[in-house]
Amino acid sequence: MSFAVPAALFLTAVALPIIGLYILKVRLRRVKVSTNLFWKQVYEEKPPRSLWQNLRHLLSLLAQLLLLLLLVSAIADPYFFWQALQARRIVAVIDISASMKAQDVSPSRFEAARTAVHRVLDGLRFRDEMAIVSAGGRPEVILGMASHVPTLRRAIDGIEPVDTSASLDAAIELATQLIGDHPHGQIIVFSDGCAQRPSDVVTTTQLAGTEHSTEVAQKSAVDPGAIANSKPKQIKPQVIHKTFATTAPNVGITQFQARRSLVDPLGYEILVTVRNASKNKVSGRLELELDEIPVDIIPINLKPEEVWTRSFEKTSLEGGVLKSALTQLAIDDANFTPGQDSDGTKTNPAAPTTSSAISLNVLPTDDVAFAIVPARKVQNVLIVTPGNLFLRKVFEANPLVNISTSQEIPKQWPKDTIVVLHRLIPEILPIGPLLIVDPETNSDVWSLGELIENPIVTEQDDESPLMTHIRLDNVLMPEAKKMEFSLPVSQLAATVTGETVYASVQRPSGPCLVLSINLEKSDLAFRTAFPILIANALGWFAGQPSEHQPSLAGGQIAEFDPSNARIYLESQTESSVGDNTSESPSGVGRATDSQTKPPTQASYRHFVKSPTGKQIPLMSRQIGPMSEVGIWEVQQQASDALKDRQSRTTDSAEAAGTVVERFAINLANANESDLRPSDQFARSSDSSISSNWLSRPLWYYLIVCASFFCTAEWYLYQRRFIS
Amino acid sequence: MLFPADFLTRLEYLSIMSKRVFRGTLLAQRRTTQMGSGIEFSDHREYTHGDDLRYLDWNIYARHGDLLLKRFQEEQDLHVYLMLDCSRSMAFGQPAKFDLARHLTAALAYIALADLDRIAVVAYADGIVAEFPVTRGKARILPLMRFLESLQTTGQDTHLGKAVGGILHRGTRSGLAVVISDLFDEHGFRTGLDQLRYRRFDAHVLQLHDPKEADPNMLGDVELEDVETESVRMVTVTEKNMRTYKQLFQQHQQSVREYCSNYGLGCTQSPSIVAFDELVMSMMRASAVAR
Repeated sequence: MSFAVPAALFLTAVALPIIGLYILKVRLRRVKVSTNLFWKQVYEEKPPRSLWQNLRHLLSLLAQLLLLLLLVSAIADPYFFWQALQARRIVAVIDISASMKAQDVSPSRFEAARTAVHRVLDGLRFRDEMAIVSAGGRPEVILGMASHVPTLRRAIDGIEPVDTSASLDAAIELATQLIGDHPHGQIIVFSDGCAQRPSDVVTTTQLAGTEHSTEVAQKSAVDPGAIANSKPKQIKPQVIHKTFATTAPNVGITQFQARRSLVDPLGYEILVTVRNASKNKVSGRLELELDEIPVDIIPINLKPEEVWTRSFEKTSLEGGVLKSALTQLAIDDANFTPGQDSDGTKTNPAAPTTSSAISLNVLPTDDVAFAIVPARKVQNVLIVTPGNLFLRKVFEANPLVNISTSQEIPKQWPKDTIVVLHRLIPEILPIGPLLIVDPETNSDVWSLGELIENPIVTEQDDESPLMTHIRLDNVLMPEAKKMEFSLPVSQLAATVTGETVYASVQRPSGPCLVLSINLEKSDLAFRTAFPILIANALGWFAGQPSEHQPSLAGGQIAEFDPSNARIYLESQTESSVGDNTSESPSGVGRATDSQTKPPTQASYRHFVKSPTGKQIPLMSRQIGPMSEVGIWEVQQQASDALKDRQSRTTDSAEAAGTVVERFAINLANANESDLRPSDQFARSSDSSISSNWLSRPLWYYLIVCASFFCTAEWYLYQRRFIS
Repeated sequence: MLFPADFLTRLEYLSIMSKRVFRGTLLAQRRTTQMGSGIEFSDHREYTHGDDLRYLDWNIYARHGDLLLKRFQEEQDLHVYLMLDCSRSMAFGQPAKFDLARHLTAALAYIALADLDRIAVVAYADGIVAEFPVTRGKARILPLMRFLESLQTTGQDTHLGKAVGGILHRGTRSGLAVVISDLFDEHGFRTGLDQLRYRRFDAHVLQLHDPKEADPNMLGDVELEDVETESVRMVTVTEKNMRTYKQLFQQHQQSVREYCSNYGLGCTQSPSIVAFDELVMSMMRASAVAR
């Protein structure tokens, strides 16, 4: 046996004053009494300081000396030599996925796991090292190898579960790297067994008595003599699984998406999937809200293990945050029996136990889901055409468009209006958004070339939002015009010979789309691609980010494009301004906006606000990992210099922070919603890994003994009997 | 200063209260048990030769033929003996029991003197220490207060029996005897009180104790010093010992009460933190209820 802190043994010198005080015998406190009449009777005339009493004082001295010796020994931290030789390297892999928030285990799965990790810490011996790895959406080393128990405890206490899936395999791999080639490595996985199944779960009974564990065991399955002959190059650590879960039933939303309808400009479509992860029939309601206004309530009746998927079509001009929530869930099955604990862990008494009143809300995270429905805005469109019914009707069919038509080129162009020029082309194109269809004359942007007969579109820019859901390769186009542009263009559709039939011109005075197809001769106007093409163009002019802002799964990383954010901000501002824009006398449209020189993105500070209100400065374009279910907002705040400028001009809301982007984050993970651990995990769960009385370090027992002697001394001192 | 300036005022108030409410119950104008030539019939006794025939009860003789002599209560001045314990144990406490005892002595003496009774104060410890002779008249209160002020706690022992014996040997006339003491008497308080009873004294016990005597707050190893005998005991006071002590103390107090109750003696027990006038009033009230 040796001591980790041998210098502490010098503290035994404290015994000298204790013995000295005993020998010197401190003068007793003298108390005057009016009579000894009663005290004589109390002590019945026996000698008050008998030999036995003096012996008691000696025992008291011995107790004090033993107490001191034990305390000094505990401070010196003794250890056996075999402990030093067999120092362990332990990595605690803690599952912090969403399912660990389930409260079927008291107080929750995660808290039970945290307590178990603390118990393992209690059994940490001298020279043992431990690391903490969290297995959330991505594995993360919370604390590297350390032997300072308070630091480890603080690290464990600082971990919180997140609304993501678990990455147990990656975390175990990371833990293996942390352990390295240490001969006494041990990985203890604290999870609920609801994540992906590990590839090679080895039970502790298999591992007991083997030093190089899994690899050897696998080899032995192939070749029985392999154990004797094999000399492993790399020692694999033990992997011990500790499962905290019951077979609690759960119903959760595993998918929830919303997008704008492709055919109805006002409409949007919802896709929702609900999974019943139980062996019972479940009934309940799915409530849909758009910006906290109820949209629909759908009763659901789920069979055991049923995956219920539905899509709905709704309409809304403003869009907003769409929320779905599972409510009034109850198990219909009268023979329902609550989940049994997989490893004897105490089941939460607060968890539902009766079938009639069961609420199935042990995991509230997956009972709600969110999606973003993009907003629509009404646009003014001026169609300048000698006359084309299809062109007019395709805009009239769009309820988000205010149409005005002209058969001549107007002398003054209206402000904030999308101008559609069909055939009639002015010499100088107006400022603002333009859609040019089948131009007949040259302009300052292009010059017309020869006619292209029977062009066949073979090249399409599928990445462009302007070409979303459009295929032009089978459209009959007897005639198109060859065009040469004086400005750079983005080719959206081109013929096999490379002639552009549809392009966006990068014009400084406003966006411009040019479609060179002859509408009257083409069957494009009869195709569904035509209204979609026009709707895409309108959306592109409006600056709408996309038709579909997908809801992300917890833990995902999103890209934030500041340029889109600016457009989003402008659209917000315009929609709030409303009709006032059309009364502008200048008639120069969006050129006025550009002339005001809006602040650049560098003038703003962006930060991300989580659903719980936590604000994170945005340092790059990447946001995340977003590990909380709910709506994440990117807010824009003006810089100090810009604030000064704004305060002089207007009290814009930007100064206080404006939402420029939103992301809907859902759990959306079938594994996490299924709270029942896999059989493999349940089998491999080892309840004996936590510390017991014999696994604690020696100083712990010394302190226990010291406590005993302290109690004895206290008893002798305070409750000393004379007779 | 033992007697403050308003002490006499408070005594006068007590005197008035005693006349108004408790007249004739305790001290002033209390009849003696002396038989003699009074006018109030007391009882009969057998006629013997030589008795005055004027007191023969002729009615009884006529009816029953028995010769019985009528006896009458003789009305005399009441002699009040105030026996003040001056042992060192009386100096215990804060305030000392002895101070309260002297206040009580002065108060009772004043009330008696105001009612034209005769009083005497006997200070005792292990015997009679000092004595204020029998006197009467309110004017004697000031010499009495000076006498009380001059008293000191003394002695190595408390012996009530010896003090009472000293008084009785002088052939003192019986009367009311008020014993003011803590009754911490190793020889037993009964001896002295028994002698008073035997000599037909009307005795009243005023027992004082300090709150710390009833509930001493000490535990552990201590040296107990008896202030009276100055003897020292090294003891370890445990909670069990303390419980036993309290039990014994209460038993002592109870034995005093039972003794007085059994033999018709007045008994007042009080902690020493009570004001003397309150205590006198409560004494008188208790006597009035018992009457």
